Amino acid sequence: MNERNNKLEVEEKPAMRKIDVSSVLRQASTPEDEMASCLEVENLNLFYSRTKQALIDISLTIPKQCVTAFIGPSGCGKSSLLRCFNRMNDLVDDCVIEGKIILDGLDIYEKSIDVADLRRRVGMVFQKPNPFPKSIYENVAYGLRIQGINSKRVLDEVVERSLRSAALWDEVKDRLHDSALGMSGGQQQRLVIARTIAVEPEVLLLDEPASALDPISTLKIEELINDLKEDYTIVIVTHNMQQAARVSDFTAFMYMGNMVEFNTTDTIFTNPAEKQTEDYITGRYG
Amino acid sequence: MATEHTPSIPPEPATPPESILDMGSRRLQLRRRLRHFYDRAAKIAIAVGGIAVIVAILAIFLYLFYEVVPLFESARVDAAATYELPADDGSTTLHLAIEEQSEIGLRLGQSGQMQFFQLRDGTPVVNVALALPEGTRITSFAIDTEESGIFAVGLDSGEVLVASYDYTTSYAQSNNARTLTPVVDYPFGADPYRLFDNQAVTTIALRSRSGNLLLAGSNGQGQAALLRASKQSNLFAAFNGDSGAASFDIVKTTVPMLVTGTTRMFIEGDQRWLFFVSGNGLIRVLDMRAALNNQAEQFEIETFLTENGARPTRIAFLLGGISLLVADSTGVVSQWFLIRDGQQTRLERARFFPSFDSAVATLAPEQRRKNFVAADANGSVAIFNSTAHREVFKQALLTSTPGAMAISPRGDALLIETTEGMFHYWEVHNEHPEVSWTALWDKVWYEGYSEPEYIWQSSAATNEFEPKYSLVPLSFGTLKAAFYAMLLAAPLAICGAVFTGYFMAPRMRRKVKPLIELMEALPTVVLGFLAGLWLAPFVERNLLGIFNILFVLPLSILLASYLWLRLPSDWRHRVPEGWEAGILIPMVLLFGYLSFVLAAPIENLFFAGDLRYFISNDLGITYDQRNALVVGFAMGFAVIPTIFSIAEDAIFTVPKHLTYGSLALGATPWQSLYRVVLPTASPGIFSALMIGMGRAVGETMIVLMATGNTPIMDVNIFEGMRTLAANIAVEIPESEVDSTHYRILFLAALVLFLFTFVFNTVAEIVRQRLRNKYSTI
Repeated sequence: MNERNNKLEVEEKPAMRKIDVSSVLRQASTPEDEMASCLEVENLNLFYSRTKQALIDISLTIPKQCVTAFIGPSGCGKSSLLRCFNRMNDLVDDCVIEGKIILDGLDIYEKSIDVADLRRRVGMVFQKPNPFPKSIYENVAYGLRIQGINSKRVLDEVVERSLRSAALWDEVKDRLHDSALGMSGGQQQRLVIARTIAVEPEVLLLDEPASALDPISTLKIEELINDLKEDYTIVIVTHNMQQAARVSDFTAFMYMGNMVEFNTTDTIFTNPAEKQTEDYITGRYG
Repeated sequence: MATEHTPSIPPEPATPPESILDMGSRRLQLRRRLRHFYDRAAKIAIAVGGIAVIVAILAIFLYLFYEVVPLFESARVDAAATYELPADDGSTTLHLAIEEQSEIGLRLGQSGQMQFFQLRDGTPVVNVALALPEGTRITSFAIDTEESGIFAVGLDSGEVLVASYDYTTSYAQSNNARTLTPVVDYPFGADPYRLFDNQAVTTIALRSRSGNLLLAGSNGQGQAALLRASKQSNLFAAFNGDSGAASFDIVKTTVPMLVTGTTRMFIEGDQRWLFFVSGNGLIRVLDMRAALNNQAEQFEIETFLTENGARPTRIAFLLGGISLLVADSTGVVSQWFLIRDGQQTRLERARFFPSFDSAVATLAPEQRRKNFVAADANGSVAIFNSTAHREVFKQALLTSTPGAMAISPRGDALLIETTEGMFHYWEVHNEHPEVSWTALWDKVWYEGYSEPEYIWQSSAATNEFEPKYSLVPLSFGTLKAAFYAMLLAAPLAICGAVFTGYFMAPRMRRKVKPLIELMEALPTVVLGFLAGLWLAPFVERNLLGIFNILFVLPLSILLASYLWLRLPSDWRHRVPEGWEAGILIPMVLLFGYLSFVLAAPIENLFFAGDLRYFISNDLGITYDQRNALVVGFAMGFAVIPTIFSIAEDAIFTVPKHLTYGSLALGATPWQSLYRVVLPTASPGIFSALMIGMGRAVGETMIVLMATGNTPIMDVNIFEGMRTLAANIAVEIPESEVDSTHYRILFLAALVLFLFTFVFNTVAEIVRQRLRNKYSTI
């Protein structure tokens, strides 16, 4: 956090006063377990309706403060798996989930879990930019307002910091109160990221965040992911294997609802253990 | 191009693939031309349809406008003829009159000669001499109403002769030509009535109604004689009678004159009050009925009819004998009438018309409308309507001073005799004098009312009735009905739409939505019928039960949801998500039933057993059986589907990715609803409300059958109302085509049209603004 702020302050002259929102919002993670696991998935099965199984016995461990990419052909279940992490699948009718997902030692599918709070801690960015029909400022402040934080001072600070983190501040600082819908697609997507990180989540789920964007916007998003991984555990779903190779530390290849292979990105792309993986990344099918 | 309908192409030998498809084949070219033709045809048809809709609406608007415009046109007066009467005896004209068909005119001279003449050229028809006693001279004249034709002349012998004129119509055998024959008659006997002994009757007043005659005369020396003659139906009455075949009971009395000097006397239309007006405008009123019954005079009114020292020049009763029109020497005509204010009776000036620069020389009220014509000494002639407080026409028609004046019964012919003896005859076109902005939208001081009021009362039993055309009570009733309907419908429909569009399981929604939309298919006449004949009496009987429901149901729903949350989760999970609403149905039925069951003990406890009676008697609130509450239920029921359907669509079509985006940020479903979904759906919800409002405003059958149709202005929920739409439905069948009433109903339609137009326009503007603000991606 410090490091990132320092880096930005070099670019921006006015020194930012650090405010301690994290204590309000974020359960402090101990710095010792730097490479510790963040999310653990144990024997996860997911059914849409009784007959259609979308995920078959998935088990994996998402490492903390790294970028983990899910790749695989369309319909392989990578987005379904991603949506399990913040329980967005609950909104799908007849969706049944078996197995466990452990976040900070707690199964997020426990009955006692507050889903709204879970989603605050596990933020998500969708494929299509979805800013609310509000001003840029209100979009970023939204997550705080629903938590009941209405102090203008806090909001101003958080909005600025979040927009800076999302590398959007310079572009929008003069029109914070214009509608977010007037921005370009790439800006909107970065705004959505800023909106998500404003509530200081622990995990950031990115569901094909750049697939609807042009190459320059895609590049900006990728740079942003690189910056953000210092503070957040990032899970990204992508169709684009080059993107996975560029931004991720770990890669999981999924096929037909199965987790085929999970390893460091270097290994997956240079020396995959499975034939299916190799076929896929070399473009033989998919 | 590859998606083009692939025609069946005969299989060809395997050549390179491009040769299989011949995009330039005649068949495909024809298809493309056909496709082009269809596209154009569809475009033209849609354009024509769209323009036709706009044209149709404009045409409706223009037609309404076309029917309404004549209301606001001024009167037109066309000179028809100017002549002298050849057989003029040179005496002063006492009275001028025109017959119904505007063919024959009548002039009564001081000599007692009644000259009937052709109105268009003055050709004499017949001359009739009044049967005056030998050697007497006419000293005064009074007419009951021109409609009855009964008049009286006071004689220098102290006697009064009462006569009447009328016309009989006959048709020639050969060419069916109409012949009008004047008839002069003596309905109260050919012998004069004696008021004074050998003292000339200088002033006289008369009223006659159904065989009764009231006479008042003055001898010019401070005495007034009052006389009542009633036709005797008793055979023996012939012995008491003065003379003739018909006999009359006569009551006579003498009273002192209440004012001095040159005095005029008038008997009011209901034959009770006798007005004395002095030369300088002082008026005093005598209770004539009491005086004739030898009762004490109790009535004290004393006021000046004119201001600034003006003298009254002409005084006449407006149609109906209620209002006194006083024309004065400064050119002002004012309208006065008696007002009964509890025990008090007072004479008030309701309005005045300061139209002329010089003294008013002559004044003639119309015989069938509350119109009158006045002319000043300089020859300016003006036509007025008293109710509308409107000067319909004014022009300097004459160069000399007018003397006597007559307006025809139909108000379409005007005859003025100048002081030089010239007769001027005009045709008058004055169809709708009763309408003015004031008459429609302002408080109007109607005859006999103690203060100006908004009243709609288009017809009554008598022809002398003053029509009251205020659109304010109708507009008010329209808005009141719509308001109470919306009060019920808006919260129910919108909350229902929110639940259905946002929370409900899709499968349940697919059943619920069409079901509610089916409510819209219910004919409103059925709803109105049920509301008027079943619901209204039911509400009256179960008033407290209805109020209980309004309180108990929302509370019971809250209670039910609270209990639901407290239930063990095993139980709860048996009901699939989004289907929880189903368990409310028995709750609602149970608590609804309890509301009615418990109403009786509560009524016994607090309201002496009957809330309805308590409201009327203890609270003093009027309770009509068909009231705004009933309309609120019935019309609310009718507009719920409209509002629900549109609002639900608006909420349901809020993009799911916005909801998901909000949920993914840690918002609860409620937070997502009111922070993202509702603002985004607000344009649709708003137009749903406005369209519902428009429907409630224009709704006819329900309000027609369930409101009681009383055009009163009261926000009281227990009183009825009359709406513009219901008013049109009620009155258009009975209104004469092209009459003022008919056109005012069209005006009401135009107002209704404007109401809905304004509602829809405002709705559209607000919706556009909201949409710009909350436009989705």
